[in-house]
Amino acid sequence: MAGSDDIALLAQDLSLAFDTGAVLEGFSIEISGGQKILMTGPSGCGKSTLLKCFLGLVVPKSGSIAVAGQPLTPATVWSLRRQIAYVTQEPDLGLGNVRQIVERPFHYRANTHLPNYFERLNELMDLFGLGSDLRDKDVSRLSGGEKQRIALTVAMTLDRPILLLDEPTSALDVRSRRTLSQYLQSRTDLTALVVTHDTGNFTFADNIVHLQARVAGDSE
Amino acid sequence: MNAKDIAPWQLASAYLLLILPLTVILWYRIPILGQTALAVLRMTAQLVFVGLYLQVVFELNNLWLNLAWLSVMVIVADVSVARSCGLRLTRIALPLFAALLLGAAAPMLIFTGLILRCESLMDAQYAIPIGGMILGNCLRADIVGIRTFYSSIRTSEKSFHNSLAQGALLHEAVRPFITDACQSALAPAVATMATIGLVSLPGMMTGVILGGASPFTAIKYQIAIMIAIFSGTSVTVTLGIRLTMRSAFNHYGLLKESIFKDGGES
Repeated sequence: MAGSDDIALLAQDLSLAFDTGAVLEGFSIEISGGQKILMTGPSGCGKSTLLKCFLGLVVPKSGSIAVAGQPLTPATVWSLRRQIAYVTQEPDLGLGNVRQIVERPFHYRANTHLPNYFERLNELMDLFGLGSDLRDKDVSRLSGGEKQRIALTVAMTLDRPILLLDEPTSALDVRSRRTLSQYLQSRTDLTALVVTHDTGNFTFADNIVHLQARVAGDSE
Repeated sequence: MNAKDIAPWQLASAYLLLILPLTVILWYRIPILGQTALAVLRMTAQLVFVGLYLQVVFELNNLWLNLAWLSVMVIVADVSVARSCGLRLTRIALPLFAALLLGAAAPMLIFTGLILRCESLMDAQYAIPIGGMILGNCLRADIVGIRTFYSSIRTSEKSFHNSLAQGALLHEAVRPFITDACQSALAPAVATMATIGLVSLPGMMTGVILGGASPFTAIKYQIAIMIAIFSGTSVTVTLGIRLTMRSAFNHYGLLKESIFKDGGES
């Protein structure tokens, strides 16, 4: 059993209600530093919402969240978000060209301590097969796979100790899936919670959590 | 008074011009006949009321009465902006009032004090029409700017959340949305400045000419009012967004659905 200092992500007795009518009640999870956890479950059961809870992007009806041993509150949310890198399903990268989009987060005050981000970003973009010819392309003209790879490279360059990935391989080709898998496996220090239907790509995972929300009104 | 007065029966003849749009509306069965009739009636009633009221205000030229009249104009603009933006008045009325008041008052006072060098900054003859022109333009720009800002954050929630997740503070995450909103709000004023005099003769210039001044005096008024309007709109739009943000976002930096009229309570 890991000590409380070593717990990267903690959700206790969480209750959530979703637009689909489903509810998740009394959900708890504890993820230690360095663990790689996969989360599966039917569509609409709240996997993505749960990831957002760890970032304070969704506030649960009840229960508590802690990140890196600190409870997530309105006072701590801004510093705790700096512990987490997040890649959403079908990322919306905003407006602008690829260069502007990938560089934007490094101008935020929270990330100015990463002075060599540019080299690292280029390195990872090459690794994910994002050529230099892509840099001046408007993001609205990118394919779903290109957007997903860009979001992954930015998340990795942010160099956060916790990674939350929501269906990160849904639009990736075989090569990029392998690259992501190898990257996660090589980073033993990194804690990762990955929502995926593609468990075969992450055979190195420490555990698989199957999430099952119930529809409101069901007795079970 | 150098402008020719219009007798009531002469003004009545102006209504004959309505035959043209009414013919178009009836011929093509455009379903705005009722709205048009109501709009013409409202315009007449409102302007008659304002004319009578301003007659009294101008004659008295009392500082407090002038301030009260300008405050009423700001309150009406405040309600109008909130309604047109689809936002709940109770949530944004106060910050929006402050933004409109500051944004309209500053250029108006510079106009009357620095440019015209009026003895009283709140001289009714100048402060009320100039304040009204600035405020009217601020209102239009605020509707575009504030509506663009909140609706684009709502529709691009994923991108906005992504910025927060990447470590952006609230002011950093909203920055691209403010840029976009300000551009939408200020673009019409920039376009108007670029084409003024070529496409149409502007209202103030026309008014000054009808008042008997030379066209050269009229263009000096027009240049000054255009700059005052542009300054006022830029201040009210940015202040309007910045000040309403305090009640529109929660402590997690998330946009509250309850600020939208069609959003739930929270």
